[in-house]
Amino acid sequence: MRPNVLLKTLRDQARGLAAWSVSLALIVAMYAAVWPSIRGQPSMSDFIDQMPEAFRSMFATTGADMSTPTGYIQIELLSFMGPIAVLIYAVGTGAGAIGGEEDRHTMDLLLSNPVGRWRVVLEKFLAMAAGTFLLAAVTGAALVLEGRLVELDLPADKVAATMLHLALLGVVFGTLALALSAATGRTGLSRGIPAALAVLAYVVNALAPLVDVFDRLQKLSPFYQYIDHDPLRRGIAWDSVLVSVATIAVLAGAAVVGFRRRDIPA
Amino acid sequence: MCAEALVRLDGLTKRFGRNTALEGVSFGIEPGEVFGYLGPNGAGKTTTIRLLMGLLRPTAGTARVLGLDAWRQPVEAHRRVGYVPGEPALYDRLTGHQHVAYCARLRHRDDAGRAAKLAARLGLDLGKPARTLSRGNRQKLAVVLAVMSRPRLLILDEPTSGIDPLVQQVFHEILREHTAEGGSALFSSHVLGEVERVADRIGVVRAGRLVAVERLQDLAARSLHRVRARFAEDVSATDFAGLPGVRDIVVEERALSCNAPQAALDALLKRISARRVEDFECAEAPLEETFLTYYGNGGNGTGTGTRAAAGSGTGEPVGAGDDGEDSRAS
Repeated sequence: MRPNVLLKTLRDQARGLAAWSVSLALIVAMYAAVWPSIRGQPSMSDFIDQMPEAFRSMFATTGADMSTPTGYIQIELLSFMGPIAVLIYAVGTGAGAIGGEEDRHTMDLLLSNPVGRWRVVLEKFLAMAAGTFLLAAVTGAALVLEGRLVELDLPADKVAATMLHLALLGVVFGTLALALSAATGRTGLSRGIPAALAVLAYVVNALAPLVDVFDRLQKLSPFYQYIDHDPLRRGIAWDSVLVSVATIAVLAGAAVVGFRRRDIPA
Repeated sequence: MCAEALVRLDGLTKRFGRNTALEGVSFGIEPGEVFGYLGPNGAGKTTTIRLLMGLLRPTAGTARVLGLDAWRQPVEAHRRVGYVPGEPALYDRLTGHQHVAYCARLRHRDDAGRAAKLAARLGLDLGKPARTLSRGNRQKLAVVLAVMSRPRLLILDEPTSGIDPLVQQVFHEILREHTAEGGSALFSSHVLGEVERVADRIGVVRAGRLVAVERLQDLAARSLHRVRARFAEDVSATDFAGLPGVRDIVVEERALSCNAPQAALDALLKRISARRVEDFECAEAPLEETFLTYYGNGGNGTGTGTRAAAGSGTGEPVGAGDDGEDSRAS
């Protein structure tokens, strides 16, 4: 059977995804453009080393060396900007998937056709996941290709591994947003709760070395699955992938159950 | 009870929290029948329809569509159901053609040809994006999308609101073709005038309860005549009391006015002619007025309720009764 809802949702998003892709490529280009003036300046690393530990944990991957391409990208893009961009897209799209059609009342039209609710949820989920992976792939491609122009040389396989983890991070929170949207139909709430939880998960992971409670919770944070094993240097961590995929599967299942049980108000 | 009923509601009840939107509604719709579902806004019409479409889960009772449970088996049911929602919501950026293509794909059918014909009959341009369409044209597109797949059952939530009268006629034609092929329809409205030309039966819902189900023919047979007479001398209201079915008797000096169903006309005339009559007038009231008399305002649905103030209860002013005058004697 043709995934009609998926195809339609992706087509609706085509313009948005194009704009996101261009923006991400430009952000990466901006980092690439600054690289020549930073490279080979160990003083940058000294500067980071001198930052208070809490600050360093929050905004820089521990042990990264700003004067190397890998360290530079770790600190500048992967710790903060990359996750924020991917999360904004995934959470926004997940929350809008069901809630958005309800806000515009088009859910009536969609469900008046012989389409099961589970199918609507799953195809909306796949559209959100596909979009997130696309944006991660665009970011990865931009890193490798734009990096080459300025001798910001990054190993393509490790970049790909990092982008896989980044996309999974986005899809975890995007699916949470989708599940809330499917179970409540409320777009704002479905956007707000995952955003707040993402900030919390970020802080827990970042400050785990400094705060005891966070240290115990760290492994629950999707940010731990994403970045803690240092994917830009060590590649894919399959156990982290597994945890992320399992989380996504559970949340997607909850989305289906939540949507099937619920009244669709007029 | 007919096993062939396309729609069968049994004790259908829906509560939202403490608020009861629908209470114990039961009725059926037979093949080839148009069921007019009437009631004031907020009475529970849309709730019933959303229950039938499987968009709401019943609190109690069941709604069956084509023999399938509306809540548990919506996908199977919707293969042969067309639905026009009360507020036709469309995808703003998609054109009519794109809507047709999307819905047809979801139904695994190719309905483009039939959709184009329907659109032409309704005077709708399928090439325009939905956001540029007027309310009436959005309604037309919703009708095209509901009808194009040749469903057995049409569920129409106030489908002709916002459509001009000429197009309404086309829509009625389409509806008659649909029933001629054995299809049925549930047609909701808050005014009788909208459904009286196409409905075979009407159900009246008020405050979440079904207060009457009646053949339109039967209602017409009970249609009221407005009788006015002027006499040569003063009369009193008691002279005309006790006539079964005669209501709204007003006597002012020498003039009498009242409303009477056809069956009561003979007895009434005999009472009137027992006196010297100077002027006499008898006119059939429009069906709408008859309907309001029986069901307009707190009526108990047995047809013996009190006269309702015209327009109250339906939320819509009703045309003055004068255009129904077809017999006049003096």
